[in-house]
Amino acid sequence: MNFSRRAMLQSTSCGFGALALNALCSEQVAASSGGGLETRTPTLAARAKRVIFLCMSGGPAHLDTFDYKPQTGQKKHPGSVFRFRQHGESGLGISELLPETAKHADDLCVINGMHADTGIHAQSFLQLHTGDRLRKRPSLGSWISYGLGTENQNLPGFISLNTSKSSIYSSAFLPSIYNGTPIGVNGENMSLATINNVSSDHLPLSTKRRQLDFVQAMNRNHLMQRPADKKLESVIESMELGFRMQSVAPDLLDISTETKATLDDYRVGQQKKSTGTCKVSDFGRQCLLARRFAEAGVRFIEVSHGSWDQHKNHRRDLKANCEVTDAPVAALLGDLKQRGLLDDTLVIWGGEFGRPGLTPEDGKDETGHNSNGFTFWLAGGGVKRGHVHGKTDPTGARAVEGKVHFRDLHATILHLMGLPPNDLKYWHAGREHRLTGPEGGKVVHELFA
Amino acid sequence: MRIPAACRTVQVLPIVVGVVFGWVNAVSAADKATISPEDRAFFENRIRPVLVKHCFECHSADAEEVGGKLLLDTRDGLRSGGESGPAVVVGKPDESRIIQAMRYDGIEMPPEQPLPEAVINDFVKWVQRGAPDPRVPVARPDAKTVEAAKTAVNKQDGKPPLWSLQPRTEPAIPEVKNRDWPLDPLDRFVLARLESANLAPTHDADPRTLIRRLYVDLLGLPPTMEDVEKFVSEHELDRVKAVQAVVDNLLARPQFGERWGRHWLDVARYGESNGNDGLGRNPTFPHAWRYRDYVIDAFNNDVPYDRFLAEQIAGDLLPSDSPAERDRHLIATGFLAMASKPAKAMNTNFDMDVVADQIEVVGTGIMGISVACARCHDHKFDPIPTRDYYALAGIFTSTETMWGLAANEKLTASPTDLHVLKAAPEVLPPADFVETVLVLESNTGVPKAIPKPKWPVGTPLAIGVRDKAKPADCKINVKGDAKKLGEVVPRGFVTACGPESSDALKIDPKQSGRLQLAEWLTQPDHPLTARVMVNRIWLHLFGQGIVRTPDDFGVYGERPSHPELLDYLANRFVEDGWSIKHLIRSIVLSRTYQLSSDAPEETLAADGENIFLTRHNRRRLDAESLRDSMLAVSGRLNLEPADGSIIRHRDILVNLAGNLHQPSNHRSVYLCYLRSSLPPELAAFDVPDFTTVTGQRDVSTIPGQALHLFNNPFVIEQAEHFAQSIMKESTNDRDRVRSAFRHALNREPGQNELGQAIELLRLTASELKSDNKAWSSLCQALLATNEFRYID
Repeated sequence: MNFSRRAMLQSTSCGFGALALNALCSEQVAASSGGGLETRTPTLAARAKRVIFLCMSGGPAHLDTFDYKPQTGQKKHPGSVFRFRQHGESGLGISELLPETAKHADDLCVINGMHADTGIHAQSFLQLHTGDRLRKRPSLGSWISYGLGTENQNLPGFISLNTSKSSIYSSAFLPSIYNGTPIGVNGENMSLATINNVSSDHLPLSTKRRQLDFVQAMNRNHLMQRPADKKLESVIESMELGFRMQSVAPDLLDISTETKATLDDYRVGQQKKSTGTCKVSDFGRQCLLARRFAEAGVRFIEVSHGSWDQHKNHRRDLKANCEVTDAPVAALLGDLKQRGLLDDTLVIWGGEFGRPGLTPEDGKDETGHNSNGFTFWLAGGGVKRGHVHGKTDPTGARAVEGKVHFRDLHATILHLMGLPPNDLKYWHAGREHRLTGPEGGKVVHELFA
Repeated sequence: MRIPAACRTVQVLPIVVGVVFGWVNAVSAADKATISPEDRAFFENRIRPVLVKHCFECHSADAEEVGGKLLLDTRDGLRSGGESGPAVVVGKPDESRIIQAMRYDGIEMPPEQPLPEAVINDFVKWVQRGAPDPRVPVARPDAKTVEAAKTAVNKQDGKPPLWSLQPRTEPAIPEVKNRDWPLDPLDRFVLARLESANLAPTHDADPRTLIRRLYVDLLGLPPTMEDVEKFVSEHELDRVKAVQAVVDNLLARPQFGERWGRHWLDVARYGESNGNDGLGRNPTFPHAWRYRDYVIDAFNNDVPYDRFLAEQIAGDLLPSDSPAERDRHLIATGFLAMASKPAKAMNTNFDMDVVADQIEVVGTGIMGISVACARCHDHKFDPIPTRDYYALAGIFTSTETMWGLAANEKLTASPTDLHVLKAAPEVLPPADFVETVLVLESNTGVPKAIPKPKWPVGTPLAIGVRDKAKPADCKINVKGDAKKLGEVVPRGFVTACGPESSDALKIDPKQSGRLQLAEWLTQPDHPLTARVMVNRIWLHLFGQGIVRTPDDFGVYGERPSHPELLDYLANRFVEDGWSIKHLIRSIVLSRTYQLSSDAPEETLAADGENIFLTRHNRRRLDAESLRDSMLAVSGRLNLEPADGSIIRHRDILVNLAGNLHQPSNHRSVYLCYLRSSLPPELAAFDVPDFTTVTGQRDVSTIPGQALHLFNNPFVIEQAEHFAQSIMKESTNDRDRVRSAFRHALNREPGQNELGQAIELLRLTASELKSDNKAWSSLCQALLATNEFRYID
């Protein structure tokens, strides 16, 4: 007799789906923010609705990209070794290595006073993504999906392209619906990377639907004999989302419908070989996919490229990394703008730290890591345009003005999304956790338009 | 006089305080379940958001200064109130301070401006309904408790209050009212607790459910229909005898070690490659599979757990009778060489990172206590000072860790020696084998030649550890920085653990101290080792541990739900010679284990989280069991152990290799567990990344799992084989459907199901013009059902 279950279904206004949804996410989320992937209204006025994070892994050399350090005085000192020119009405200084990005100078909001805690790649990379250097914690994209849900119920809220460790896109202790969905791992053939098992041609979709109807009928019957098992209910719901993804995701992943001009703009499939540290990752394809996901309502999309860790052959490898990413980044900005998406899409560019500068004409071509001063830029999503915030000292070694820590960057991003950065919390293992850590992050209001 | 509201809120269950600290979840969990869905919805939609938005700034634990000592962020806070009395008088809005304040009657809250009328009316309605509040008192220790735990370390009496560090008690087997119920003494602990809470265990599982549960729990495989029918008929004659017979049979099968070995491999963070070193490089561990086989054999041979640990920590230092035994001991030390190492390049802490992994696997894996925090500072909550960390670290810095060549990529790790095995056979790569995955010169991108290894091709090798030539104590690394050295700490163990019997254990200065570490861990009176393992075993049989944080027996871990039971079982485990099979046998023969997972409504309401063990827990098949079950049902399962690993001749960077995985019909435990490149047949179902100790896997529900069931080639292939075997059995569609249900679900289809299946077949066949595809579709559907994937 399933009387109470029926009574329960009748008594709750939203019925079955809502029950399942509640089970999908933790009680806590359900309580604080509505739960699941449903779109939630941000607490603050949101300037951005979604994020595309262009993650330049390995530590891009800030002094040869966006932070111009000319020689001063008689004695040669570390600084920029590539030429810079001022671009756009804003006169933003951008390196000769990024001619296409430079055309969007007036859209960029450059932060030259970034700093982080460590020059160890793995730790700083983890900190950039999760706020913590050491432990498995929820990634930025998971926090944002947790806070806001997603705009398209047929897709996950967080997608990570050309990713690395799962800890980078993990929801950790947050409910698993906020976990990033990886598309390709750095080193794989990224021209073919996709969502695993998203389609198969063994049966047409209509037959699969009929098959699923049979499965779900059995599942509901099974559930009726096991009333009040929320896990079983959530499986039923999640199978439906999986099914819906089949009808949406393959098309989104199929870029053959784009015009040749677009494919060319993004340089899809044009990088044929690795140069030193600069690996083939079909970065243009990933940027184009990012735009398609953004357009489809995915909340947080990360596209990685790397590695920018050019210890030896600094000039050659940096040039290669810039060459491979420059046009796709510009194409993405242009494309978003043209589609009216840039206004509420926050684009973020940067890596886990920067690099010390080379000293011109001293014959050396080798750089290391510098977490004391480096560059990020933001574009769209309510930030100032053609603006530079903060600065490093004359050799670019450390941030001296307008310093922004990863914590502050995180706080700023959450704020732009309408989430109060230090109040977006989750209770786990005996204490409340937040992206900005126990110290909290400072929102950098000066960046806002 | 008004009775304070707090006194009138009736606790549904008496609080059972068998624990040191008071923040147990047990009661609240049960309490929570008594709230009706309507009340819950009302609270969540109308009440909580208002509290959060308008009250918490001053009236929550996070408030900088708590206004009027009133906390509204917990149920208890709200009920007991603050300086001006209880915030809520149940059923009486006019007398409730919170309503008065909202009406600006005497007190004015929130101070900026009054809340809208409608909101206040919601609160009035809520109080009239009894102020139902589903909030669970969360595990938030107050500052005093934390302080007590911290200062306890410094106390000279050496008896910290952390429950898990207390010596095990010898609890008397409790008296119970219902004397006919228990089958094993352990049942009396469970029943006594139930009776004291006025609860009763649910009914026994029916034999069909029980046999499926036993097969999956003990073997990780489903029974066949014949197994089920045989058991059901024997069960009818003599239930106890029937269960005993089947349990003894299952425990003796080699599939037992494959199932239970896999659980240990999770704890041992077993992986066949290093995992991403932070720079995308992921060298294989071509010889790690030997450790996998060692573990499976150890479980099958029921190697006593104390011995099992000694072999893994100090196998190289143990005497052996034969070359084969010597090989086994050396292979066992692979346990300590399995670290997922960060890149060596630019990392001055590399050696200490390897040591940290070893301390972590011993601490968390064996003792259920994370020692890791103490690398940089005294543990904030658990009684582990930094000195203890470096006392342990000295043991491992005196140890040489041998992971092998690391794909000849020195930037990820320097190459090391390996154990050369004496009795294991030489296995050559196939004659035509040529390695095609080559490390690239980072400057030029030109492939580097593979250096000639020091061992002849085919030499049987094993990863593991051995003592360094000159063992030495370790200096404290200030804040975990290997460049900032503090005082030298003599090698030793975790002081807060005791145990008394270990006082005489002295580390030979000429040795690393691993042998003594193993001895120390396996002292019969060590407070943690037996408890932690008993809990791990319980967890795999019940789906939740007696301590629900199996890897954390520390201050922030959960308290045991049945502390006496835990101690009783741990005592029994040690007394029975640390026999794992013996313990598993006792537990599965208990009445508690054999309960149904269904329970009457009242029981579910009173024991929502099944803390009291009123019933069994329904569980999802884990990734391996799901895959193995599909193979079993499709008739394709190869029960022979796989020989070695697909990467046994390949010392390469996984990240450069593309897909290394190959289809296999062997059990999942023999798939290639490459970190950062998990077997695609398992990856969707919460397989951990095997970089840290995993005592309990996540059970997530994500759409990627549905996609796996819909579209994964392995699943489709099994469905096709399954369909073929069904179609061969009969020409009659109804008989075929019955057979499919029997194979997949061990039962006959109901009339409705039969009709639905026939309809699915008819429509699919006519749409696709293919009987084969129609049958495959039905078979795939059965493999995707919750009934197939969950065990009652």
